[in-house]
Amino acid sequence: MQPVEIVIIIAAAAIVVGVIVAAIIRRKKGKPSCDCCDCPCCSGCAEKKSKEKS
Amino acid sequence: MIRFALAGNPNCGKTTLFNGLTGSTAHVGNWPGVTVDKKEGVYKRCEEPIAVVDLPGIYSLSPYTPEEVIARNYVLDEKPDCVINIVDATNLERNLYLTTQIMEIDVPMVIALNMIDAMEKNGDKIDAKALEEKLGVPVVAISALKGTGIHELMERAYTVCKEERKGRTVLESGALAHLITDVKIALDGQGVKNPLFHSVKLAEQDELEVNEHKDAVKMVEEFKKTFKDDVFGSDFEALIADARYKYISENFSSVITKKNKEKFTSTKSDKADKVLTHKIWGIPIFLVILFAIFHLTFSEDFLYLGKIFGFSSLEELGVDTEAFGGTLLACFYDGAIFSPGVIINNLWNNIIVEYCFGWLINLIESSGMSGWAIGLLNDGVIEGLKAVLSFLPPILVLFLFFSILEDSGYMARIAFILDRMFRKFGLSGRAFLPMIMGFGCSVPAMINTRTLADDKERTATIRVIPFFSCGAKLPILTAVSGAIVAYFGIGNADLITYSMYLLGIVAAILAVLLMRNTSLKGETPPFIMELPAYHAPQFKNLMAHLWDKAKHFIKKAFTIIIASTIVIWVLSHFSFSWGFLEDEYIDQSILAQLSMLLQPIFTPLGFGSQLGAFGWVFVVAAISGLIAKENVIATFATLAACLVASGLELGSLDIAAESGIDAVQAMITATGIGIPGLLAFIAFNMTTIPCFAAVATAKAELINKKSFNGTLIFWLASSYIVASAIYTIGSWWWTAFIWAAVIVLTTWLVILYSKRAKNKLDNNNPV
Repeated sequence: MQPVEIVIIIAAAAIVVGVIVAAIIRRKKGKPSCDCCDCPCCSGCAEKKSKEKS
Repeated sequence: MIRFALAGNPNCGKTTLFNGLTGSTAHVGNWPGVTVDKKEGVYKRCEEPIAVVDLPGIYSLSPYTPEEVIARNYVLDEKPDCVINIVDATNLERNLYLTTQIMEIDVPMVIALNMIDAMEKNGDKIDAKALEEKLGVPVVAISALKGTGIHELMERAYTVCKEERKGRTVLESGALAHLITDVKIALDGQGVKNPLFHSVKLAEQDELEVNEHKDAVKMVEEFKKTFKDDVFGSDFEALIADARYKYISENFSSVITKKNKEKFTSTKSDKADKVLTHKIWGIPIFLVILFAIFHLTFSEDFLYLGKIFGFSSLEELGVDTEAFGGTLLACFYDGAIFSPGVIINNLWNNIIVEYCFGWLINLIESSGMSGWAIGLLNDGVIEGLKAVLSFLPPILVLFLFFSILEDSGYMARIAFILDRMFRKFGLSGRAFLPMIMGFGCSVPAMINTRTLADDKERTATIRVIPFFSCGAKLPILTAVSGAIVAYFGIGNADLITYSMYLLGIVAAILAVLLMRNTSLKGETPPFIMELPAYHAPQFKNLMAHLWDKAKHFIKKAFTIIIASTIVIWVLSHFSFSWGFLEDEYIDQSILAQLSMLLQPIFTPLGFGSQLGAFGWVFVVAAISGLIAKENVIATFATLAACLVASGLELGSLDIAAESGIDAVQAMITATGIGIPGLLAFIAFNMTTIPCFAAVATAKAELINKKSFNGTLIFWLASSYIVASAIYTIGSWWWTAFIWAAVIVLTTWLVILYSKRAKNKLDNNNPV
């Protein structure tokens, strides 16, 4: 296997793991996982609401 | 850090001022509920940085709406160092109602007299100094839109915030004033903060006050008894509101000098509203405007001039489309003049995307790497990315048009004219506002349903928001409808896209009708909304929103989409025993085998077992859409590239052109799927479970787990029914009668259920 191919495998794995981890961290902070919108009211809302419910 | 709160009526310019102060690109809408929580930013041009909080727009500090509760609680509990009350100078008397309530709180306060430019344009004048003397609160004239007076406002607020201020009420005469004074003294003695504010609210029998100060309620009743029996009457809230407006009317009509002395004059907005909110023509006009938007974005025959006049194609004219000049011309015209959206799309794809990615693909292919590495990079990553990025222009153009409608004030009118129609289905026009936000993204749209006070109405609205295709679903619509037109040579892409958007709206209405007559039955709350004046959208605001949208889209493409295409490529090139598979053995991969298990479920929808060997690709695409809807086209692109590499015969189709539309065409060639199946595929993706982010938001916003589970079942059931109806009717026209019979039967059962429920209620509560 060529060195560049090893780099490609590592980079691909890093991208996939990185996106999953980033999504988990965003959910823990109460933000939507996809950052698909610029709505500022997303930040903390989901987390706060679930705390209020509990 | 010092904190200032911006409070005021909806549409008075709070968020415009907030953006001007903080340099934020916070969304400015023209309808209530755009700000449903508070937004924070920092103003850095004073002696020290100041945190600025933009509160939701409210008409009073009474707890009738979530926005009012949020704003009230913030001022009372978070104790900002100063409240900047933004007052619309063109509607002074109405805006001062809230001012008189904020004045009762022990908090430093400054009034920002906004829209002073609009007032001067009308030839009217306002004496800010006189207003300041009468209110006893600093007043600064500003124009948040033009950016004038802003620094002076902040300097004044900075000075004022260092001084203590005691609340003052305008209810200074009569028995009411005596009552309030008595209660205030009592509350002061008990050490209650903001005693004046609480005493007025207790006198009003404010719901929140009554719940929070139960002991004080008894005291207020005792005080009331000390007055003569008939002094107050029974409706204290109306009494106090009347007293406030009387005070405002008597004291503040003199500070305004109107150019036109007539009390009621028709403005340009009023004249426009006579047409645009006409009770008969309002909705048809809206549908025409919506069609125009889709035509300008997607049409490959602008104003249908090509069809009407029979223009010649570039080939017939002898233009070499391979040469750069010909390629450039082909972006604008080829047998028909393209619409602006299509021109921008062609320029982006044929020149920028094609050049950048084409160069990259050639570089990788000539790198000498192994076949699998080239496959992963080219077929997996680049194809998926390219397919998604190719839809950036139509997304931005469509978003631009919707932003123009919103910023001009027209969207607020739509809510108003749809209220009459929506009321018949059990929703108020206020529910339409979050739905329209769903055209951008379902996540803020679902959060925006907090403005709906009724839980059942809220649940019904959240359930149908995904039916309003968000920006992420646009690539699916565009690619599939474009492929239908290109492959089968029938229809127009703009008409198909417009029809599918309308289908979503119709499906939403029918779903709400069903829900509001069965499981979510309830009263439709009243809808009162202030219509803002029409105004030309600010170019700067529009470009800022477009930039934000583009940024988020590209960020999503380079994160979630790339990760998804890598996973899809890996799963489609490895068997269960983790042996690597070449492209021609893709059918034996983990992805194919798992998808084939699910394929029969989609047979009634037209993209299941009937599609043969490669039909599982549609199943994978639909499921990958749960992560992000853009993944659907990215999946087609990745897998189509693999199939082509495996030797799939494409006939005259040039997959090297490589866009989402071409990927779908390749899948049509590979599977033999027909138009009904393709339309059913679009409908399925439009109405099924939205992306994970939207699902998580729905879970957080719905009242309980049962409601959420019901919502998931609703999404699955509705997408299945809608898609199978489209496929079966499209394939066998006579099945329309069977579906009609099913609808009639369902309607009859709903009416029966409704009547029985009503009878049961009447029996339990006899008059």
